[in-house]
Amino acid sequence: MSLNVRPILSALLRNRTGAVLVAMQIAIALAVLVNALYIVMQRIEKVGRPTGIDVPNIFVVSSAGFTDRYHLVPSIEEDLAYLRGVPGVIASSTANAIPLSGGGSGQTLVTEPGKHSSDSMNYFEVNEQGLDALGLHLVAGRNFRHDEIEPPITKTDASRFVAQIIVSRALGERMFGQQSPLGKRVYDNIGQAATIIGVVDPVMGSWPMNEHPDWVFFAPRVASTLYGGAVNYLVRTQPGQRDTAMRLVEAHLTKINPNRVINFVRPLTYFKDLTDLGDRSMGIYLLTVTGLLIAVTCLGIFALATFNVATRTKQIGTRRAVGARRRDIVRYFLVENGLITSAGIIAGCLLALATGYWLSEQYALPRLNLYYLVGGVLALWGIGQFAAWQPARRAAAVSPSVATRTV
Amino acid sequence: MLKMQDVSKVYRTDLIETYALRNFSLEVSAGEFVAVTGPSGSGKTTFLNVAGLLESFESGSYVLDGSDVRELSDDARSRLRNERIGFIFQSFNLIPDLNVQDNVDVPLRYRRLSSADRRERINSALELVGLASRMKHMPSQLSGGQQQRVAIARAIAGDPAFLLADEPTGNLDSLMARQVMDLLEQINELGTTILLVTHDPELARRAQRNIHLVDGQISDFRSYEPRVPSADAAGSALA
Amino acid sequence: MFGYYARLALKSFRRNLGLTTLMVLAVALGIAVCIMTLTVYHAMSGNPIWWKNDRLYAVTMDSWDPNQQYNRTGPSAPPPQMTYRDATYLLNSSIPERKVKMYTVDGVISAAGPAPQRISTRLTTADFFAMFDVPFLYGAGWPAAADSPPQPSIVLTREMNEKLFGGVNSVGRTLRWNDHEFRIVGVLNDWFPRPRFFDLNGGSFQRPDDAYIPFAWGPELQLQSSGNTDCWKPEKVDTTEEFLGSDCIWLQVWVELPDAAARERMQTFMDAYWAEQHRAGRFERPRDNRLTNVAQWLRVQQVVDNDNRVLVGLAFAFLAVCLINTVGLLLAKFLNAAPITGVRRALGASRRQIFVQHLVEVAMVSALGALLGLLLAILGLAAVHHMYSAAHLGRPGGYQELTHFDAVGVLWAIVLAIAATLAAGLYPAWRVGRLPPAAYLKSQ
Repeated sequence: MSLNVRPILSALLRNRTGAVLVAMQIAIALAVLVNALYIVMQRIEKVGRPTGIDVPNIFVVSSAGFTDRYHLVPSIEEDLAYLRGVPGVIASSTANAIPLSGGGSGQTLVTEPGKHSSDSMNYFEVNEQGLDALGLHLVAGRNFRHDEIEPPITKTDASRFVAQIIVSRALGERMFGQQSPLGKRVYDNIGQAATIIGVVDPVMGSWPMNEHPDWVFFAPRVASTLYGGAVNYLVRTQPGQRDTAMRLVEAHLTKINPNRVINFVRPLTYFKDLTDLGDRSMGIYLLTVTGLLIAVTCLGIFALATFNVATRTKQIGTRRAVGARRRDIVRYFLVENGLITSAGIIAGCLLALATGYWLSEQYALPRLNLYYLVGGVLALWGIGQFAAWQPARRAAAVSPSVATRTV
Repeated sequence: MLKMQDVSKVYRTDLIETYALRNFSLEVSAGEFVAVTGPSGSGKTTFLNVAGLLESFESGSYVLDGSDVRELSDDARSRLRNERIGFIFQSFNLIPDLNVQDNVDVPLRYRRLSSADRRERINSALELVGLASRMKHMPSQLSGGQQQRVAIARAIAGDPAFLLADEPTGNLDSLMARQVMDLLEQINELGTTILLVTHDPELARRAQRNIHLVDGQISDFRSYEPRVPSADAAGSALA
Repeated sequence: MFGYYARLALKSFRRNLGLTTLMVLAVALGIAVCIMTLTVYHAMSGNPIWWKNDRLYAVTMDSWDPNQQYNRTGPSAPPPQMTYRDATYLLNSSIPERKVKMYTVDGVISAAGPAPQRISTRLTTADFFAMFDVPFLYGAGWPAAADSPPQPSIVLTREMNEKLFGGVNSVGRTLRWNDHEFRIVGVLNDWFPRPRFFDLNGGSFQRPDDAYIPFAWGPELQLQSSGNTDCWKPEKVDTTEEFLGSDCIWLQVWVELPDAAARERMQTFMDAYWAEQHRAGRFERPRDNRLTNVAQWLRVQQVVDNDNRVLVGLAFAFLAVCLINTVGLLLAKFLNAAPITGVRRALGASRRQIFVQHLVEVAMVSALGALLGLLLAILGLAAVHHMYSAAHLGRPGGYQELTHFDAVGVLWAIVLAIAATLAAGLYPAWRVGRLPPAAYLKSQ
C-alpha cells in the first residue's frame, strides 16, 4: 500500500510539458497570493487605525466671506450661536482645517528656543468646544477656557503664536519622551513660547497617510481666513441626528449673511472616505485580481486533470483489471497532481520571496512576513489537490472492461 | 513506378535493435495489383508506412514515380503523398465531425484546386463507390462497409497513382468485405496500381502478385493470372 | 484556405465546448485586467503637452533649509515652488521666449449667475495661455501690458461660462470677483490636461482652475495661496510685505526656451543670480538650480504612484497565468485530436499546413478572447470610474479622470492582446504539426 511515487514521477517526467505549465501557474499564483494579501492587510490596518474622532456624527460647514462688509469675528459669533442651538448638536467649533481631509497646516515645535527640528507638527486652531466637536478625549490636563481663545491672526500679525496648547500623546512622547508633557513649554521657530495644558489620545490629523499622522496639537484661537479664505465650522451631533441637522444648517446659513458664500456643508465621512479611497481601491483591485488568478489556475488544473483522465482510460482500465481498487486509482492521480503542485509551490516560494524583497526595496514597503508565505503554501496546496479531486474520482469510476476493448 | 531497393528500417532503443524491414527490395509496375502478406510482427505495417512515405528508413533507396524519396523535404513528401498515393485503413479513419462530402474533400483541400473542380471530383468518386446519395450524412450514420467505401472514395478522389490498402476488410463482415474487394479490383482495372497489405490469404489470392513477409524480409512470392472481370463485379459495386 | 480552416476550428470548438469556453474566458480576463491597468497607467504617465516637451521648463532653485533637504526620500532636490523674490527676479529676464509665475486662490464670483459661488482662480502672468497652448472659445487672454499695473481682466473656463452666462459669448461683460469688478476678456474651450503638469498641488489630476486673473492682483489684494505654502526659515512673517520678502515657497515658475542655446543662457542667468544671493547670505544649500522639461518633471515629481506600478506588475502576472493556462489547454486539445491529425497528414497535409490550420484555431480563440476582454475592460473601467466619481460626489478631478479610453490606447491594447495569445498558441500549433503521422494512425 505504499505510495509508490517513483513510477508515477518517471511517467510524469516522460510527459512533462503539461505538468510544467501547471506548475508555472501555481508558482505565479503563490507569489501573487502571498504578496497581494500582505499588501492588502497593511492597507486594512492603515485605514482602520483609530482616529479618536467621532467621524460618523460630525459635519463640516465651509463659509467664505467675499465682500468688505463681511466681518470675520461677528460673523463667526453669529454662526456659532446658531449652530450650537440646532437640535441634536453637541458642540461646534471653528477650525482652520478639516482633520482627515488631506489639507491642513503644520509648524515646527522645539523644546528650547532656537533649537532646530525637521518635524512638522500638524495643528488645528479651535475654540473651547473644539475637542468636543471632534469627540476627542483628554487623558491628562484640561481643555481650553473660553477666555483663553485668542483672536484670529490678521494680515499684520500672521506669525503670532498662542499661549497654551493641547497636544496629542504621540507628539508629547516625541518631544519629551516618557515624561509627562503637561506644564512644559514649547517654542515655535522664532522663539515664541506656549505651555502644554492638556493631552489627548488617540487623535489623527489632516494627513492619515503620513508617517506620523498623530503628531497633532490644538491652538486656542479663532480660525482666520488668512490661509484659504474660508472658515470651517466643525459640528458634532447626537447619533442619527447628523443629516437632519445638516439640512437645517445649510438652509439657514446660506440665507442669513449675503456677504459670504456657504461653500459646502459636508459630513466628515466624505473627507475620510476620499482620503481612504486610494487604499481601499488598491485593496479591492488586489483582492479581485488575485481571486481571479487563483480561479483561473484552479480551473486550469481541473481541466487538464480531466483531460489526462480522459486520454488514459485504457491505462486506468488495465490497472483496474489487474487488481487496483478505486482508492488506488484516486491515489495515483492525487499523487501525480501533488507532485506537480509541490514543484509549483517550491518554485512559487522562491518567486514569492524574491518579489517580496523587490517590492520592499523598490517601493519602500515593509519586508514580507513569513507567516503569509506559510499560509499561502498551505492554501495553494489545498487548492491544487481540490481541483484534481473530481477528475480523480471520475478516473476511479472507469470500468476495468475498458482494458479489453480495442476500438 | 515504385522501386524499393535494400530498404532497412531499424527501431533502436538503449537496449535492443529491431529490424522491422531488412534489405527489403520490391518493384511494382504501374497498373499492378500486389498483395503483401505475413503474420503479425512480420513488418507489413512498417512496409506500408515506408511505402506511403509515413516513415523514414535507415538504408537502401526508394524511388516513387521517378522521385528519390530520401531527397525530399517534408513539404515535398506531403505533396507526393497527397497527389500520388491514396490510403485505405482497416479502421476507416473517417473524420467523425465531417460529413461524407467533407471527408472525401479532405485530401483535395491540400492542393490548389478550384471549388468547382473539387466538387466534380467528389461527385465522381462517390458515384464510383455508389454513395453519391449519402453526401450529407455523417460517418456515424453509415454502416462499416459504407464507411470504408467513403474512405475509398476519399482515396481515389485525387486521382492517385497508387492505392495503399491496409487490411481494408478487417473490420467488415464477409458480404461487405466482398463488395470492397470488388471495388478495389474495379479501380485497378481503371488503371490504378494497388498495394494491398493483409494477413488473409483468401484476399491475397485476388491480387495478381503476392509478396510474403517474415521478419522483415521477403520469404516467398507468387504470381496469379490477372483476374477476368465478371458480371458479379459490376453488380456488387452498386450495392 | 482560411475559410476552410475557420470552419474546422468552429467544429473543433463545438466538439470541446467546455474547454473552449474556459480558454476564451481565461484569455479575456487576462486581457481585460491588462487593458484596465494599462489604461490608467498610460493616462497617469502621459505627457499632456508632449509636442512642446523640449521647449517648456519648470524653474526651481534649492532655497531650502541648509540642515534639511526638501524632499523626504531620495537624493536632494530643489522644492517644486519658488519664493516671491526669486520668481519676480527671474521673470525679469528677457532670455525666455515666454515665462509665467503663478499660484491659485479661492475666490467668490458674484453679480453673475444664480448665486455667489466660490471658485478656484489662477493668478498668472499673461504668457500662460500661449505657453501652454490653451485653446480659447471666445476672446483671448490679456496682453502683457495688462499685467502691471494689473487690469481687472478675467478669463473663464467653458464650464464656468455655462454656469454663469448660459454658454453665450460673454466677452466684454463684467462680474465681481471677491467683490471687485472684473471684465471678461476670454472664455476657454475644453481643456483638461492630465496630469495638471504645470501645478501638481492638491493632486496630479486636479481639474483646471475655473478662472484666470493677472498675477499682480495677488500682492495687490493680499491673496493667500490655496495651494501649498512651505516655509523653513525662522523669520518673523507678520505682514504681507514680510511674506512676499520671505523664503517661503508658494509660486510655480515656468519658462519657454526655444533651443539649447537659450536654455544654457537661462541656466547661466540663474546661476549668476544664485551666486549674488549666496554672497548676501541666502541660498545656503549646495547650488541646485534646475530647468526641468515636462517629461522629466512628471517623473521627478512621481506622478505615477507606486501603487499603480505594483498593479501593472500584477496585471502582467495575471496575463501570464491566463496565457500559460491557454497554452496547456490548447496543447491538450490538439494532442487529443492527434489521430485525426495523423489521418490528415497521411492524406497529404504537410507539417506547415497542419501548423497553419491550428494557428487559425488559436487566432480565433485569441480574437474572441480579445473582444470579450475589451468588453470586460470597458465595463471594469466604467465601474472604477463610477466608484471614484461617487466618492468625489460627481465633481471632476481625481483618479476617475484616468479611466477614459483613448483610441490609441484601445488599438494598442487589442494588438497586444492578439499578439500575446498568438504567441501563446504558437507552441501547441507547432507541436501538433510535428506529430509523426504513422504513430497515431490506427493500423494493425
